[in-house]
Amino acid sequence: MIYQRIFLTALLVVYAVLAYAATTYEAAFSYEPVGPRAFPLLLLILLAAGTVYLIIRPGQMAEENADTPLTGHVLGRLVLCVLALSLFAFFFETLGFVVSAFFFAIAMCRLYNGRWVSSVITAAVMALGFYGLFDRLLDVPLPLGVLSGLGV
Amino acid sequence: METLGYLGQGFGVATTPLNLFTALCGTLIGTVVGLLPGLGPINGVALLIPIAFALGLPPETSLILLAAVYLGCEYGGRISSILLNIPGEASAVMTALDGHPLARQGKGGIALSISAAGSFTGGLIATIGVTIFAPLLAKWAVAFGPAEYFVMMVFAITCLAGMAGNKPMKTAVASLIGLLLACVGIDANSGVYRFTFDALGLADGIQFVVLVLGLFSISEILVLLERTYYGQTALKTSGRMMFNAKEAMLVKWTVLRSGVVGFFMGILPGAGATMASAVAYMSEKRMATKDNRFGDGDLRGLAAPETANSAAACGSMVPMLTLGVPGSGTTAVMLGALTLYNITPGPMLFQTDPQLVWGLIASLFIANVMLVVMNIPLIRVFTKILAVPYWALVPGIAIVTAIGVYGVHATTFDLFLMIVIGVVGYILRKFDFPLSAVLLGFILGGIMEQNLRRALSISNGELSILWSSPITWGGWALVVLMLVLPMYRGWRQRRARVPANP
Repeated sequence: MIYQRIFLTALLVVYAVLAYAATTYEAAFSYEPVGPRAFPLLLLILLAAGTVYLIIRPGQMAEENADTPLTGHVLGRLVLCVLALSLFAFFFETLGFVVSAFFFAIAMCRLYNGRWVSSVITAAVMALGFYGLFDRLLDVPLPLGVLSGLGV
Repeated sequence: METLGYLGQGFGVATTPLNLFTALCGTLIGTVVGLLPGLGPINGVALLIPIAFALGLPPETSLILLAAVYLGCEYGGRISSILLNIPGEASAVMTALDGHPLARQGKGGIALSISAAGSFTGGLIATIGVTIFAPLLAKWAVAFGPAEYFVMMVFAITCLAGMAGNKPMKTAVASLIGLLLACVGIDANSGVYRFTFDALGLADGIQFVVLVLGLFSISEILVLLERTYYGQTALKTSGRMMFNAKEAMLVKWTVLRSGVVGFFMGILPGAGATMASAVAYMSEKRMATKDNRFGDGDLRGLAAPETANSAAACGSMVPMLTLGVPGSGTTAVMLGALTLYNITPGPMLFQTDPQLVWGLIASLFIANVMLVVMNIPLIRVFTKILAVPYWALVPGIAIVTAIGVYGVHATTFDLFLMIVIGVVGYILRKFDFPLSAVLLGFILGGIMEQNLRRALSISNGELSILWSSPITWGGWALVVLMLVLPMYRGWRQRRARVPANP
């Protein structure tokens, strides 16, 4: 319950920042009665009202969320997962799809309790398979990165 | 009669070899995605949008693909509910209540076949409903002006919250967040950059695909990470696979009633399959006579939610096609897909793109038949798929997600944005905010603001235009009803609780 209130309070701070930003939105010249500012501000006011209500009365959590408490162990893995995703995004263009996806897939397989050997094999198949499928067959251009010198 | 002619035309579109093949692939993919624990129709449809786009499919074909996946997911969802007791998504929770006990009693085969038959009947009833009601509603909706549209959108948002059962305020906040996210980017009317904070990647707004995949794919990956500890074993289906005539007679009326209930629940914006299956289950339970065994393996308790959620899946196409207001999270994704093709959903669709609308409706019939034909003999193959471990599944989902997002703009900015949205979505989900409401809000946000501003431009700033026609009065009356409904429900619950603990 306390975490939920902290989160909701953080949301209120975000609304305040956004509302401050929104007050500066002024159309240089306007030929309509409602400018770009009204609608977002209206939403932010409603959002703030709803969030304050929830801080006062957070309500019951659904069972499916209540029965898997976040232990430190799970939390650590969640952070690792987000880190893996971020690194994948960071190296997506510099290293190229095939290389970054290969390492990313190994990390993800390991994170979800795959064994080393099967993880490496799965990752290699996925990195090459998805590249072939999307870049060659489906015409979704994917960056080659460090492999672009190979002339494939 | 006119309708029948159009429907015939629709079947002409739906039975071209390409579209038939697409429907077949869609139903197969949908069933597989639906039965994988944790993956529901939104994930399936969202992952397929970039692929459908990349394949260069014409709009009607890709819409048929997405609709077939949607229906397939509703079919597939019951398999994991019945055999594993792990509902793949919220609308299958009710199926597990009676389905899993049946499987434990060794009647898994019967449970699967009767629920397949129920899904089929529900889908059929609802598709007939779509055929009848969609053109009527579209004809009526042509008379809508911007003010009427705005009121309609307000109704959709309040209906979403009002029907959300035990958490109306969280649903309302979630949909408002969605509406706000739609404001990000350059304002089309005035050219002002809103909430971009000088990030170039946000200049043309948050891309729909980025939002959907972040909210549903990335947050799902994080949720699955929590569950890697929970081992799971699928029950074997042995013995008789097919239900017999006596069992069919037992559920006959249940199926028909639930199909109709499901269809009408599906039409309501936001209510969708989850509400439909719950309402159908509860009302059947109340109607059942003394010998009912609801909760530990009553066939009626299995047939009711299964029929209703398939019917609602089809029913939610009605507001999507006629008003451009999605009836469920999944149809919201489909609407987004339509806008990627530069097609504006709404009543005009019936006049400007009849082959798209009627092709879609006809392919709902075809996909339904394919699913029931495929499901009964192939059930053993599908149950094998339940054995795919997460460590092989999740990296694949993650990589396809990343490709889908990168494919939109070819910038890594979108990848980071997707991760941020995914993490926020995960947190929202942990605190019980419904993510599909965020998505619905996002879809409605743009058109809602446009219509409001257009209406006020017509009246030169007079707010009274928002309540100046009979349609708007009706709309506001419905809005008030939806605001009062959760309060009334809360009041009744409190009153019921007082005598229990004095």
